[in-house]
Amino acid sequence: MSAALDPASVDLSIRLGALRLEHPIVDASGTFDLLESALRYEGDFFAAFPFAAYVPKTVTLEARQGNPPPRVMETASGMINAIGLENPGAAAFVAGFSRWAQLRQPVIVSVGGNTPDQFAAVVRLIEQRLSAAAPGESPRIEGYELNVSCPNVATGLQIGADQAATAAVVGAVRGETARFLLVKLTPNVSDVTVPARAAVEAGADGLSLVNTFKAMVLDRQTLRPFLGNLTGGLCGPAIKPIALRMVGEVAAALPGVPIVGMGGVMTGLDALEFIACGATAVAVGVANFGGLEVAARIVSELRAELAARGLSSPAAARGLALAGAA
Amino acid sequence: MSAVCAGGHESPGQWAETSHCRVAGVSHHGTFTALDLTAPRIATKASPGQFVMVAVPGGGFLLRRPLSLFSVRGERVGLLIERRGAGTERLVSLAVGDAVDLAGPLGSAFPIDGVSDALLVGGGIGCAPLQYLSDALAAAGSAVTAVFGFRDQRAARVAHAFSISRLLIASEDGSVGQRGTVLDALRDLEVRPGTTAYVCGPSGMIAAVQDWCARLGLRGYASLEAHMACGTGACHGCVVDTAQGRLRVCSEGPVFALEDVRP
Repeated sequence: MSAALDPASVDLSIRLGALRLEHPIVDASGTFDLLESALRYEGDFFAAFPFAAYVPKTVTLEARQGNPPPRVMETASGMINAIGLENPGAAAFVAGFSRWAQLRQPVIVSVGGNTPDQFAAVVRLIEQRLSAAAPGESPRIEGYELNVSCPNVATGLQIGADQAATAAVVGAVRGETARFLLVKLTPNVSDVTVPARAAVEAGADGLSLVNTFKAMVLDRQTLRPFLGNLTGGLCGPAIKPIALRMVGEVAAALPGVPIVGMGGVMTGLDALEFIACGATAVAVGVANFGGLEVAARIVSELRAELAARGLSSPAAARGLALAGAA
Repeated sequence: MSAVCAGGHESPGQWAETSHCRVAGVSHHGTFTALDLTAPRIATKASPGQFVMVAVPGGGFLLRRPLSLFSVRGERVGLLIERRGAGTERLVSLAVGDAVDLAGPLGSAFPIDGVSDALLVGGGIGCAPLQYLSDALAAAGSAVTAVFGFRDQRAARVAHAFSISRLLIASEDGSVGQRGTVLDALRDLEVRPGTTAYVCGPSGMIAAVQDWCARLGLRGYASLEAHMACGTGACHGCVVDTAQGRLRVCSEGPVFALEDVRP
């Protein structure tokens, strides 16, 4: 490794496909709420917004009330959740656009659904609203992240676990927008490169991985499943080594496809590990629950970790773990 | 604002609810522990019924723990903790001078305006928010009666941590106060019309008090608890079913109208 650099000399900016971002750190969908957070800041919240892009909570065509409680529990080095994509629906989502129009950073809208048509309808509604809005009335929506973790209504399986279903969703959305299109892959498959390749061949510009691992936690008194939904998704540091392996596999299989890596990122060094495995950007999820100031800390830690290794930019670190590993 | 609230690193603003505090006092009461924290920023802004998210010190825990404000006196904020698992075990082993990070005050408060007679009903750790509430009601000139229920003598020892002028205790094993549940104690109580009830405790107790209040035509409020992840409205992990739909305990609650809760 080269000699350490002055952290101030590190250029954290990245290009994620068509997006130019100030640094590689974004929020994992559903773990940071822009409007709730703005209420909790003394000062200019939009100037202090810590992420390079904002990924809001997944929006679906119709409102969803989500899963019955309880929905979350901490586990060993992790957390299990079964929120069930609670959201007010796409019409309410676009009606609220003006409330976050001040955000400087680009927005990547997380979209969910049970059929290709549902995904496409959400994106169509957003595109129509963006075309109709006057400048300054809507946020800088520059991309979409398709959350294919919903069950496929035809098969009952997760869409993302089925390459044909994944491709159908991507194809339907691709017909509605020219904006940057990410597909968020589920890790609940034996070979993550299969749905990854299907998504890219169907027109995705990039991939986000990993979503949560299907898991279960018991009420240890009653020995019944604790969550109202019985099963949930496991995230947090417990899954980080698996997520790193999967990001590395996709980066090696699909070189040049931008990846948003995620899974248990608690520190800047964790983020750097995802970049070394081939990620271009890194999403912070459960760490956001440790406090609203965590994201800014992770960004400054990433800068320091790059500098300490003589790496002048995230691009200089990208894929370092893959060299010779293939 | 000494020793609290370092601002953001690169911007002049700061997160309104983040406080870096020190433990000023620790007392153990049977199965409960009372922590006193020097937290002027939270003390200034808090209202009874609100809570804080407390980071479990020493590493190894991802999620902060939601704890009701037990008392607010001057710059001091009191918390009452029951050992539930490894996280609360760590919290109750804190010593005077230890650093604690917390966010708060969070959530909704107990309405107290215009209350002439207040009846506070607590079960177990659910008694925690009722001291601060009692202090605020008494300061506003309300007449306060509290009825607390505990499983046994060891749990009931926490009553010594409270200072409420009219406090009745019930214990299931009869070792302290009246034998039975809080409901048994409530049935023997003379309640003035127009009394406002404030309830916090196990869901079965809240349901029973809800019924009892409905029969007597009393209005009231319940403070609910839930497993939480963020505590700040983002994750929708702490929702409960209410007459108003599925609501977040951290944001729309923890205090709800008693008639609206579905315990």
